[in-house]
Amino acid sequence: MIATIFYNPVSLPSDALLWLLPPLCLAVAIIYKTIRTQNISRLWLDTAVLFLCMMGGLAALMVVGYLLVR
Amino acid sequence: MKSQGDNVANSVVAMMLAWIIPGAGHIFLGRWVRGVIIFITIGATFWSGVALGGVLTVDHRNARWWFVAQMLTGVHGLVGFYDQKQVYQTLPAVSNDAELDAMLQEKGIALADNPTDSIARAYTGVAGMLNVLCIMDAMLLGLMGVRGEGKRAVGGLPAEDTQPHEQPDTAGQGPPVQSPAATDSNPPEGLP
Repeated sequence: MIATIFYNPVSLPSDALLWLLPPLCLAVAIIYKTIRTQNISRLWLDTAVLFLCMMGGLAALMVVGYLLVR
Repeated sequence: MKSQGDNVANSVVAMMLAWIIPGAGHIFLGRWVRGVIIFITIGATFWSGVALGGVLTVDHRNARWWFVAQMLTGVHGLVGFYDQKQVYQTLPAVSNDAELDAMLQEKGIALADNPTDSIARAYTGVAGMLNVLCIMDAMLLGLMGVRGEGKRAVGGLPAEDTQPHEQPDTAGQGPPVQSPAATDSNPPEGLP
C-alpha cells in the first residue's frame, strides 16, 4: 500500500501547483531555524516568523509581477 | 576539557552521521530535539517529492544534477535510488533514452507531467540542500566542542570555558579576585 504511493506520480490540477510552495517554504524555515536558533524553546515562534516573512515576500513579488504584467 | 584532536574526530563523525541519516549528527552531539526535527522535516520533504513525482523522481539518467542533490539526503536518497534501479532492472536493454521512456510508459510506469516532475525534483533536491546546511552545522558544532543544548562556544573554546571564573589566589591572602569578564558584567553601584 505504502509502496504504491511512491510508485506512480500524483496527477495534480494545474491550479493546485501553487499550493505546493508553502510546504516547501515551511520546510526551509524549520530547518534554518532549527540550526540557527540559540534558544530551542523559541524554535516554533522563530520558525513561524520566518515562514510568514517568506510568504509575505513572495506575495509582494507576486503583486509586483502582476502590476508589471498588467 | 577535550583536546583539539577529539573535536576534529567528533566533527568528522558528526558530519558523516549527518549525511547518512539526516539529524543523526546533531543527535550525536547531544542535540536530540534538533536532530529529531531535522530527521522528520527532511524525510517528509524528500518523500513528499517522491510521492508527487513517482519512483522516477530520483533518476540518475535524465536528471543528473538533481540526482546529486537528492543523494545529499543520505539514506532517503539511497532508498529512492534503489527503488529506481529496481524499476530499470525489470526492463530489457534499450539503445536510447527515448526508447526507454516509451517502454516505461508501456509498462504502466507513468512519468510525471511537466511541471509536476520539476516540482517533485525541487522538493527532493531542496531536501538534500537543506541537509547540507545540517551537515555543515554539525561539523562546525563538533569542531567548536559544543555538546548538548548549552551555549554556543566563543572563540573556538567549549561552552563551559566561556563562563567567567575566579582566578586562583596564588599568595593565599585576601579574598579571591574575579576575572575582568566577571567584574564587567556587574554594574557599579548606583547604576541600573
